[in-house]
Amino acid sequence: MTGARQTDPAGAVAESRLNRLNYKIRTAWREPTAIIGILLTIVFAYLIVVPIAALLYDSVEVQFGDERRAGAPEGGLTTYYFSRALFSPVAQDLFWQPLSHTLSISVGAIIISLSVGGVLAWLLGRTDLFARRWFATALIVPYMLPSWTFALAWRTLFKNREVGGQMGWFEAMGFPPPDWLAYGQVPITIILALHYTPFVILLFGNALRRFDSQLEDSARVLGAPPRTVARKIILPLMLPALMSATVLIFAKCLGEFGVSYVLGLPVDYDVLATSLFRSISSRQPGVAAVIAIAIMAIGIISLLIDARLVRESRKFVTVGGKGSMDRKNALGIFRLPATVFAGLIFLISVGLPLLVLTMSTVMRVPGNFALSNFTLDYWIGQDLEFVAFPTGILLTPDLWTAVWNTLTIVGFASVCSGMMGILVGYVVVRSQVKAVSVFLRQVTFFPYLVPGIAFAAAYLSLFAVPRGPIPALYGTSLILILALMADQMPYASRAGISAMMQLGKDPEEAAQVAGAGWFRRMISIVIPIQKGALVAGILLPFISGIRGLSLFVILAVPGTDVLTTFSLRLLDYNYTQAANSVVLIISAIAYFGTLAVQKMTKTNLADGLEG
Amino acid sequence: MPTIALKAISKSYSKDGAKAVSDLDLEVVDGDFMCLLGPSGCGKTTTLRMIAGLENLTEGEITVGDRVVDAAHKGVFVPPEKREMGLVFQSYALWPHLTIEGNTDFGLRLRKVPKAEREERVTRVMKTLGIEQYRDRYPSQLSGGQQQRVALARMLAVNPEVLLLDEPLSNLDARLRLEMRTELKRIHSEFGTTIVFVTHDQWEAMTLATRIAVMNNGNLQQVGTPEDIYDRPANRFVAEFVGSPPINIVELGGGAGGALAEAANAFLDQQGTPRETVGSVGLRPESIRLARDKADLPADALSGSVRLTAILPTGGNWILELGIDGQKLHASTHVAPHWHAEEELFFHVASDAVHRFDPNGHRLPQSDASTTKVRKAG
Repeated sequence: MTGARQTDPAGAVAESRLNRLNYKIRTAWREPTAIIGILLTIVFAYLIVVPIAALLYDSVEVQFGDERRAGAPEGGLTTYYFSRALFSPVAQDLFWQPLSHTLSISVGAIIISLSVGGVLAWLLGRTDLFARRWFATALIVPYMLPSWTFALAWRTLFKNREVGGQMGWFEAMGFPPPDWLAYGQVPITIILALHYTPFVILLFGNALRRFDSQLEDSARVLGAPPRTVARKIILPLMLPALMSATVLIFAKCLGEFGVSYVLGLPVDYDVLATSLFRSISSRQPGVAAVIAIAIMAIGIISLLIDARLVRESRKFVTVGGKGSMDRKNALGIFRLPATVFAGLIFLISVGLPLLVLTMSTVMRVPGNFALSNFTLDYWIGQDLEFVAFPTGILLTPDLWTAVWNTLTIVGFASVCSGMMGILVGYVVVRSQVKAVSVFLRQVTFFPYLVPGIAFAAAYLSLFAVPRGPIPALYGTSLILILALMADQMPYASRAGISAMMQLGKDPEEAAQVAGAGWFRRMISIVIPIQKGALVAGILLPFISGIRGLSLFVILAVPGTDVLTTFSLRLLDYNYTQAANSVVLIISAIAYFGTLAVQKMTKTNLADGLEG
Repeated sequence: MPTIALKAISKSYSKDGAKAVSDLDLEVVDGDFMCLLGPSGCGKTTTLRMIAGLENLTEGEITVGDRVVDAAHKGVFVPPEKREMGLVFQSYALWPHLTIEGNTDFGLRLRKVPKAEREERVTRVMKTLGIEQYRDRYPSQLSGGQQQRVALARMLAVNPEVLLLDEPLSNLDARLRLEMRTELKRIHSEFGTTIVFVTHDQWEAMTLATRIAVMNNGNLQQVGTPEDIYDRPANRFVAEFVGSPPINIVELGGGAGGALAEAANAFLDQQGTPRETVGSVGLRPESIRLARDKADLPADALSGSVRLTAILPTGGNWILELGIDGQKLHASTHVAPHWHAEEELFFHVASDAVHRFDPNGHRLPQSDASTTKVRKAG
């Protein structure tokens, strides 16, 4: 009896425990959300975490052919690559000089773009500048085009005999530009500055617009002269936006490849990204891994600083009031000069480069403006005297292969990442298993911290050789698609998460209570409501993918050439006109694509920049 | 409709965290218009969502009739889509991509109701709620009040046995709110639906509910008819939460002094109630009467002298602020007061209108004297 009485409660407790477990499993897993969450977790662990781990491992693993130098068998552990990249006699060329070049270019670009962009933002946001609305769109254009478009334009103008092939315009007209003007630090800095100025205009302009004019009025009422108001009230409140723009530009400069490749290479002016590229092309994966890790580390640190600053600036959030800065300052006699200034910036950063590029593709000899010198041969000509290009670029099958590759590779990757973004958003917002949602949110954001070129290096180190059941993917389109997807995930998942957050639980729960199961709710409620977000989440990455270079330059081979790598190859062979034509095609797609998306989704580029 | 029974249900969002709902027992019977009332964050919405199946239980069980729909210790969970209830959200949660008709017949389509019948039921519900002319519009084209009706229509179309409403009137303006209250009362009787309604608005609860469950900090404080809640509050929380202007609480014992406490103590002595059993007494503003003459004071009332410090007309009602030995009392009357401010007066409260609470704040039964008097009066 006693025994029975003792076992009975114990049995009941065990049963109740089992039931509780059953309940937990049932409530947490009763819907596909959890299973999708697990699948996504595995996919992103493989697409994002594993490549980076492989890269880290590559930097300490003895590579094939390095056994003797590293003093260890292939596959063993070594510090050889770190010491070679950081402390050996060649470290200066491999790492330290590129690092100092990268830093000086970034600092230069930041200073120029902050001062030019800051002034323009103020002119556009707060003054009676002529044609203000037109400028507000026109001055953003450089951001929509690939940055090395401008590098090519520069080279077309200022090229000298340092590089073979066609002459530059100035050279052809009898003024050979000096090296410092033609290549290296000066042009790279100027071009990057012009390319990132729209960044400042957008971020700073947004902050200005949100600024509550009552804060300013209060200071005025208390007797502060405009100068004091600017210094003591406006500037401190604008500081977070300025800091944020600074860090973002820095992070972008860090991974910048195209401009430095086009303008730095002729004079051996290496930055971290080009040094990484050289290490990879000269088959030094270990050293490349070390450089990639360094780029990644600097990127992560700077963005963490930014996150910190943004958090600090949240303290100012109370600023939001009803009053906005609609009031415009009259420029008075400066109205015309200010407009001329804005026009000049537009001319330098958009008008001139595009004009030069376009002209260069219809001129036989550079710098000769006689009518007889103009031709459409480079676009649509036949029976030309070039070895590799008997026809104009539009009639070249290689171009159409590249167009096809671009559309399929970038398109497929964008569709996948857009849909995965919505799924990630759904799981992050809905999952009952908190660990899954936290992991997904963070892992999909991680590539944002890693410049594309470092990420490409990580993919190369993972997929260059067969690993387990996965064959070597190098040379296939698949590796490009996967890398691109991972690279786009931060934007896609952010878009997805914010769309799902905005939607909230209510509409879906209402359907649930009305009797709709999971699939029904997805098809009838969630996806139709999120249609717009899905389209934007696919198209925006698509456009930025089309003009992307740094990922492709490492992972693409001639068979998988996309438009950007194709134009770079043309440039390497000194087919200037052909290269420029291809870049113009890319620019046109990027520009009109962006406009179309903005129109379609009624969004603004500026909204996408923040968040 | 079978009875919905919540048996000792608890909900906590983290393992060691505070309970959003703790140990709640509640029965909703057929035809109830049950109102969950409490301040924000008291767990009333969580309770409603647990009934709908949108939140899981941490402890306890929910049964509908004989059927267990949710019980952690038994491992039973019936998902919301199988519970056949209706839920109207505070945000209305209309589907923005569907027309009003699309919103309304969604549930019927899911249930594979034939087209003719669907048409007929949707039309009937829309007519009842006066939204038929908006059939082909989208939710964003409707005003708040109209959206509210669509949200109701959407749920009523499937004719659920239980309708759950989560603060459905809080986003409406005052006039619409009154209109919708009448509407809800009509729906309750017309459709014979059992309704569970969540609100933080005591007037909404008092005017609509057949029974009110008052909650605070995840705990059920009292369940009863609106009269029970107002006239016989189970504890000080309920007494203070319900009523506007709020009930006057006079703290007794434990060093509480002043003329007001003395008057209350004198009253307790006279009633034969031992002072140490009472921690405080509560006086509803409308039960406080004033007199100019001491001779007009009834013998067994709680009474004392006061100064009338302010008269606040609210249109049809007057709130009188009374000062007594540095303390304040609020009285209210719907008869225009014939006193002036700063006049020295006497107040009195009939003995059966004095709410007594023990030192822990729980209600004490009315003293024998007053009970007998009430019985006699009845």
